Amino acid sequence: MKKIGKSTFFIVVVLIALFAASAVIGLDYYFGDNATTVIKGVDDIRLGIDIKGGVDVTFAPSGDFDATDSQLDAATETMKTRLSSLGINDNEVYSDAKSDRIIVRFPWQAGESDFDPEAAVKELGEMAELTFRKGTDSDTDEEGNVTPTGEIVLNGTDIAEAGYGQQPNDYGDYQWVVSLKLNPSGKEKFATATGELAGSSTPISIWMDNNMISAPSVNSAITDGNAIITGNFDAESSKKLADQINSGALPFKMETKSFKTISPTMGEGSLDAILLAAAIAFAFIALYMIVLYRVPGFVAVIALCGQIAGSIAAITGWFGFMPGSTLTIPGIAGIILSVGMGVDANIITGECIKEELRSGKNLDSAIRVAYKRAFSAILDGNVTNVIIAIILMGAFGVPSSFFSKILNSTIFRMFGATTEGVVYSFGFTLLAGVVCNFIFGVFFARLMVTALSKFKGLQNRKLYGGDVK
Amino acid sequence: MSKNNKKTAAQKKPDIKVYNFCSKKKMILGIFIGIVIALIVGILVRGVNFAIEFKGGTMLTYNYSGDINTNDVQSAVKNIVNVPVTVRSGEALDTGGKQLTVSFTSEEGLNADRQHELTEALQQQFSSNAIELSDSNDVSPSSGREFLLKCLIAIVFAAIVIIIYIAIRFRKIGGWSAGLCAVFALCTDLLVALASSILFGFEFNSNIVAVILTILGYSINNTIVIYDRIRENRALYPKASLNELINLGCTQSLTRSIRTSVTTIGTMLIVTIVVMISGYNSLLSFSVPLVFGLISGTYSSLFVAPVTWSRLKAREAKKKAA
Repeated sequence: MKKIGKSTFFIVVVLIALFAASAVIGLDYYFGDNATTVIKGVDDIRLGIDIKGGVDVTFAPSGDFDATDSQLDAATETMKTRLSSLGINDNEVYSDAKSDRIIVRFPWQAGESDFDPEAAVKELGEMAELTFRKGTDSDTDEEGNVTPTGEIVLNGTDIAEAGYGQQPNDYGDYQWVVSLKLNPSGKEKFATATGELAGSSTPISIWMDNNMISAPSVNSAITDGNAIITGNFDAESSKKLADQINSGALPFKMETKSFKTISPTMGEGSLDAILLAAAIAFAFIALYMIVLYRVPGFVAVIALCGQIAGSIAAITGWFGFMPGSTLTIPGIAGIILSVGMGVDANIITGECIKEELRSGKNLDSAIRVAYKRAFSAILDGNVTNVIIAIILMGAFGVPSSFFSKILNSTIFRMFGATTEGVVYSFGFTLLAGVVCNFIFGVFFARLMVTALSKFKGLQNRKLYGGDVK
Repeated sequence: MSKNNKKTAAQKKPDIKVYNFCSKKKMILGIFIGIVIALIVGILVRGVNFAIEFKGGTMLTYNYSGDINTNDVQSAVKNIVNVPVTVRSGEALDTGGKQLTVSFTSEEGLNADRQHELTEALQQQFSSNAIELSDSNDVSPSSGREFLLKCLIAIVFAAIVIIIYIAIRFRKIGGWSAGLCAVFALCTDLLVALASSILFGFEFNSNIVAVILTILGYSINNTIVIYDRIRENRALYPKASLNELINLGCTQSLTRSIRTSVTTIGTMLIVTIVVMISGYNSLLSFSVPLVFGLISGTYSSLFVAPVTWSRLKAREAKKKAA
């Protein structure tokens, strides 16, 4: 063992304090009015929808449609565009090629009051395929579902850009319209078709999925690549249609397989309750450890602070190499378990120090041997928890994550991706907590106890649980 | 532990009183078997109340104002979804406002289109009540079952990997049987947590999954700490019988086990009390089963795992002799 001086204690404490402060408070700097977050603090933690409230929905193609991988990728991209055109920027979208599912999750925006999650989700799953067709022919099946049958002139891919605005109609009244700018291929097709139909009685019908929006007749060939859709629009519906066209069509209609919304207030209260309980519990643990183990107990409390800060840091993404995660209620359970293991590690060590002292060793070698002996138990206990954490992260992680790729292609082959990010969250905080336990509860704690034992005033064996001699 | 550590405390003949755990085999296993049977009977009698996320179905919670007749709502919903529904009215926990909970199971679940339709219809029909959606939870039965099965397989897989790990790390003291017994003790803890949740009438929801996972980690850790002590003692007293080693290991670990349990169980009791006072009862289904699981975890790792292991080893020895 290298020499550990008195100063080591202060160096370690300062390091832990700096780390904890940066993980909890975060680091922002302001350039003018723009805040740039360098390190995310506690305030930036993404809360899971079981705490903050929000929407968690799984889509799958409706009917027996079997989507190809590229179709699914296209659908995922479209979903993302649609979410941002709905103003939902804080979202997670995952796709799973095996089960053809798309999982969308988003928490409530701050201060949200008149958001209709049902309407938003319904809009997300709509195919939104725009077609221009010759004539207005359509089929109606027994259930009354209408499907257009006219020859397709244009579809969504022929459109470069859609916009919305007002323009006067024949009577001089202003009405809402959607304007389309066609791309070169669309321009050509549209010119040919309108030239063909010009002056005839066959109109061009415009369909959004199976709804006919309008069916104007063609007066002359349109060759400039611009088209206007009129219909019964108001400001909102014309914007919606333009957004839908711009974000593109889904290659197939999607239906919700599971759909969960949680109101925002419900969760916040339970988070307050958990935080209060955590504060009381921590005070209890700190008191208990210091009373039972004196110096090693005191060190254990510092180490636990570091460990908890480490868990927070892992969630906020403090460690650059590891992406952050959302905090959910099972995630909090993971932190509790890892703190429990951290306390356990310190109790095991404290007991070992006591035993060694009582067997008549001097303080120095008692501490040294005790940490060595305790380590084998701590190692095995923690490794088994790492195993559990990794399996859970693999089984319930997002399909593109590392552990998930390994496990889902082997033992979980028969399953599709599920929306249970909560189990993943448990694995994540458990893994982070256990790793931090090694760093703080084992390595740093040993440095601190060894350093403290060098102080004259702290060399009383009683302070380490030794017998009075 | 390595043999070089000649001066470790444990090497001195222990002057502490060693409790003879192994001689109380019958009592320990008797209590244990009794509890297990009682719990299984309890579970069978009560029946498991699966939450919608596991059995599939739809549960919609609406906020409303004024007075509303739940029977009217029930028939209105039934007209739209064509399956039997239950409608309950209650109070919102957070705001104290009035709430309606509409729940039903259907084979396909209620996709977003139809859910939207239902909400609009209710809003029209009960326009004076200002109905607004608060929570919704819709899961098709197949994905609910799939999640449950996936959890189960993940836990079984984790258990197998842990048995293999223990077998390797503790090979000097007969690893396979040790791993098997650790997992056996773990199963009883899971049973206790599960049963306490069911007997208290909590729904089987994702909180209980979190409980099971926590117990999984905690119980294994607890058992391993004791095994580690036995492994250490084996190196120190090569001539001692397994029963002697087990007795010594358990005795030495007693203080540590009790102290660790006080912190973990104490923490969960604090959580339970705070949650009860603040009224967020949804967390009780997390904290209460966890308290029972932790108590069982302490008992099983200290008594059940080592004692069954001693029995298993004794039987092995008998077979060899025969």
